[in-house]
Amino acid sequence: MSFLSLVGVELKKIKRSKIMLILLTATIILWLPSIFNADMNFGMQAEGISPENNFLIQGFLGMAWFMFPASMVVGTVLLSQTERSNNGIFKMLALPINTAKLCMAKFVVLLTLAASQILMTVGIYFISAAIVTQIQSYDFILSPLFVLKEAGLIYLFSIPMIAFFWVLSICIRTPIFSIGAGLAFIVPSVLMINTKIWFAYPMCYPFYVITSEYGKLATNLSTAQIDLIPWLPIAVVVVIICLAVSCFRFGQAERR
Amino acid sequence: MSVFLECKKIKRTGFIPTFLSGGLLAAAIPVLNMAVRSENYVGLSDTPLQILLDANWQMMAMLNVLLIVAGACLMYHTEYADNAIQKMRTLPLKESQMFFGKVILLSAMFVVVLVIEATSLAFCSFHWFEVYNDFWLETGKTLGYSLLLTLPSVILSMLISSACKNMWVSLGIGVVCVFTATMVPVKNFILSIFPFAMPFQIFGGTDAERTLQFIYVALIEIVVIGIAELLFIKVRRSFE
Repeated sequence: MSFLSLVGVELKKIKRSKIMLILLTATIILWLPSIFNADMNFGMQAEGISPENNFLIQGFLGMAWFMFPASMVVGTVLLSQTERSNNGIFKMLALPINTAKLCMAKFVVLLTLAASQILMTVGIYFISAAIVTQIQSYDFILSPLFVLKEAGLIYLFSIPMIAFFWVLSICIRTPIFSIGAGLAFIVPSVLMINTKIWFAYPMCYPFYVITSEYGKLATNLSTAQIDLIPWLPIAVVVVIICLAVSCFRFGQAERR
Repeated sequence: MSVFLECKKIKRTGFIPTFLSGGLLAAAIPVLNMAVRSENYVGLSDTPLQILLDANWQMMAMLNVLLIVAGACLMYHTEYADNAIQKMRTLPLKESQMFFGKVILLSAMFVVVLVIEATSLAFCSFHWFEVYNDFWLETGKTLGYSLLLTLPSVILSMLISSACKNMWVSLGIGVVCVFTATMVPVKNFILSIFPFAMPFQIFGGTDAERTLQFIYVALIEIVVIGIAELLFIKVRRSFE
């Protein structure tokens, strides 16, 4: 079975899981306050950021801080529980497929969920920006290329975090531990982005990158910029270790 | 009776260790915050407890609510995962009894978490601030208030998890609700009565009248959500 068809099978499994509905609700709720408080965007002279940029960045900050990581924890629960609930995982493990391949296929599905949520956020951003443009009679719509660039940055920076949540859900068999640990790891990211060792904490990468973008757009703010040197090698190592451990541990408890 | 049954069910699910470690994690926040930057807080004019809560309660409350959501999901997940709920329904027990047993157990675990956090707040007050007479009275009032304001979110997250057979759906809804609550401004009364936003309130953060209003709203919400669950069980049974 080729890797692509495996991914296709995994995508079929979550077709009726209503996960897309949950992700969509989260993104809609993300943008609602921005629409209601749109006039606040005009009072940002102290930071020196233009209203339309502020509108985008505030929404993305809300997403990168809690909603996106928490949705990924929900995604890991979905991927691990759909198979465990009716022992479907036994059937999958009985097939002549490499378990590491199966694990990677599931991880690709998780990455797909992440990508679809980010694309939904971008889509709803344009809708809400259009609404706010009408209400405030000021052009809030930014160029799609710029918005997609920011969204792409969040996505790339979130891959180590997603890999970490994935290994958490595979290694910790008790569902409440993996959920609790995943959610508890999100909360301190607010503190970690203000420290010098932010690169040691994968959960704060997406939040950090968007904060630093905020600093770039706001002329009077000086937030820390991203140095590729300590960060990139660490992020790559985190992803490799997480995926290696998850591939090794995947299905081990069932095979015993 | 029902509560003891629930206790036995959660024995091997990792529920209690999760709540204890979650409580310890939340308790670590004020200690770490004071250890790293105590000079920002020591000179302020409020009472020590108020200073500590202003500085740390948002994060602590967030951990508490997340803990409650995860705990509620797990409690019904154990029922739905292997169709245990069908066996429960054949017993001479009311389904609502099981629900309220779970609510009481979750609230009891939350009290434990609050006690752990209170210990840490007391430690911070004694270590970095001067001791004063009314400290224990103030701590008791604050925690009682937090407990009462958190109960609506306990019972609502339990309602959500009892309604959804799949854990990720109830967890997803819970996470979306918590996310909504984090975006609610604390000063806005109408939006703050959303059950998941109430735990973020601090006793003494608003005037006495507002505090009383919050207490009434919390009590009303508990009763309303409880009745909603009773109706939900009746309706669902007639459709299944």
